This record gives sequence, C-alpha cells and structure tokens, in this order.
Amino acid sequence: MSDTDIIDQLKQGSEAAFKTLVDTHQKLVVNTCYGLVQNREDAEDIAQDVFVEVYRNIDKFRADAKLSTWLYRIAVNRSLNHIRDNKKRKWFHSFEDEVANKRREAMQVSTSNTDEPEYELENQQRAIILKEAINSLPQNQKVAFTLSKYEELSYQEIAEVMDLSVSSVESLLFRAKKGLQKKLYKCFKKKCL
Amino acid sequence: MKCKNVHNKLIFFLEKELPVSEMEQVQKHLDECSKCARFAAEMRNTLQILDNDKVNDENPFFYTRVKERLSKQAEEQPAVRPVLVRILQPVAFSMLLLLGVYGGFMLGQAPNANIAGSGFTEQEVIPYWNELEAEPIEAFLME
Ligand SMILES: [Zn+2]
Repeated sequence: MSDTDIIDQLKQGSEAAFKTLVDTHQKLVVNTCYGLVQNREDAEDIAQDVFVEVYRNIDKFRADAKLSTWLYRIAVNRSLNHIRDNKKRKWFHSFEDEVANKRREAMQVSTSNTDEPEYELENQQRAIILKEAINSLPQNQKVAFTLSKYEELSYQEIAEVMDLSVSSVESLLFRAKKGLQKKLYKCFKKKCL
Repeated sequence: MKCKNVHNKLIFFLEKELPVSEMEQVQKHLDECSKCARFAAEMRNTLQILDNDKVNDENPFFYTRVKERLSKQAEEQPAVRPVLVRILQPVAFSMLLLLGVYGGFMLGQAPNANIAGSGFTEQEVIPYWNELEAEPIEAFLME
C-alpha cells in the first residue's frame, strides 16, 4: 500500500490503514526522536504522541505533501518541545542525577557488539562524551545532524523537513561537525577520551 | 600540513568529505604524526558509536500504546462540562457572597422597623445568613 493509499483510507476512518501507517513508520519516528532527545524511553513516548497527532490531524494533511516529511516535522517539533520542557525541569535536578542518567543512557548504547569488557567501558565513556557533544549543539545544527546521521537523509530531504535551502543545510551540517570536532579535541587533550 | 590544520579537517576526513588532494594530505600527515593519528583513531571510534546507536528493533506493543493514548484522550475530550463548572462555580459563589453581604447590610440598616415587628431576634437571623455563605465555601474547596 502506498502512502497516498494509506492517507486516503485513513481519511475515510480506516483503522487498518492507521495500523499500517504506524507499523511502517514507527522506526523512522522513534529514531528521529531518539537522535534528538538521546533517550530511548522518552523517544518512544514522544513518537506515540506523534502518531496521535497524525491521527487527529489527518484531514489537514495536504494530498500533494510527502508523508515522511510531515512525520519528520512533527517528530522534530515534539522532540524539541520535550527538550525545552526538560531543561526547565533540570533546574531542580542535581548534577549527580544528570551524570547517573548519562551513564544509564550510555549503557543502552554500548551493550551492542562486543564481548570485551575493557572495550565496552571505553565505548561507554565515548558514548557519554559524544552524547554530551551532540546535546551541546545549537538547536538547528542538532536537528540537521540528527536527520543526517540517524535517518541518513540527503541534504535535499533535510532542507524539505526543515524548510530551509540546501545551502543552509550544508552550512548547518558543516558547523555541527566543526563543533563536535572541537568538543572531541578538547576532550582528547584533557585525556577524557 | 600542520597538526592544527589536521585537527580542523579531521572530522571531514573521516566522513570522506574533503577534496581528493586534501584527503591525501591529511592521510600523509596521519602516517607521520603519531599524536594526530591517535586523535584520529579516537575520533573514528567515537563517531562509530553513532552507527550502532540507532533504534533498529521495533517495539511490538507500539501500536497498542498509540491506540491506548488515542482512546484515553477521546475519553478526556468531553472536558467541556468541567471547564464550565470551573468557571460557573466561582461566579455562583461570588454572587452568593455578594447576596450575603447585601443581605447583612440590609438587615443592619433596618433593624428597628423589621425585627421588632416580625418577632425575629438578631441571633436567629444572622446564623441563617452565615450558613448560606459557609456552604458554598466548603463545596468550592472540595471540588
Ligand atoms: Zn600532527
């Protein structure tokens, strides 16, 4: 079933069409949210809200628009809202909580591909630093970087999602990578890498 | 190429985004400079984490959760009445309060004419007004 078919049937109230839409686009949405909020549980939570929003607003969806672009946009907006709300909440969290959280998140990442515990530990450390570095990027750079790295979108596709020109996206990604490089180098010099 | 130049280009080198000539220059430097080579290796390992960091498995309960959320919101949707109650209750409460104050004021103003004639004592009347005021306060707080 094509996206257009799914949308048409969903507009007519088909539940099966909605299930198909969720099943076929779940990974896209969860992964995008994950790239931005860097936490699996939160990402799934936000992603569920994304689909609820899609269901409720399907009538407003333009027939000539691309479904994935729409999904990416909602996912990005909701994730950014989540980050903003979280920042407010973090005023009340201690630094220790933060480090503990980071560690737990990093554990989720590096339980992947190896049996060597030493390498695992190093990778955990790398994951923490990398997440820290990504999180410190300015918002637009982070969005472009996430769509590029986590969803492997082309510059053109990122431009559509973010409603920017391709050259702006190029510039955002260039600055994002420069920023990451700088952070990682600082860490390397301080031997925290 | 100097170390500093290499540091500035390393991420683009690792992402294979440099022009061929620069790719070669960086590679040449890395072959000769152990410090930059170590940083390059570390950076490569760190960036590689991103490749494994994607959400690849699907949550089999995902759709059910979305449906749950939808029906939960649908239940909460006829929230028009509570809103109305929330607005109307203070309004009714204020009006009762005003009525009470007004009543008290009237009672205070015409004590001689009325109370003597009707046979009500002051003590009997005032608790009646007080009760009327007190009841909505409780109801208001309990809501
Ligand atoms: Zn060097």
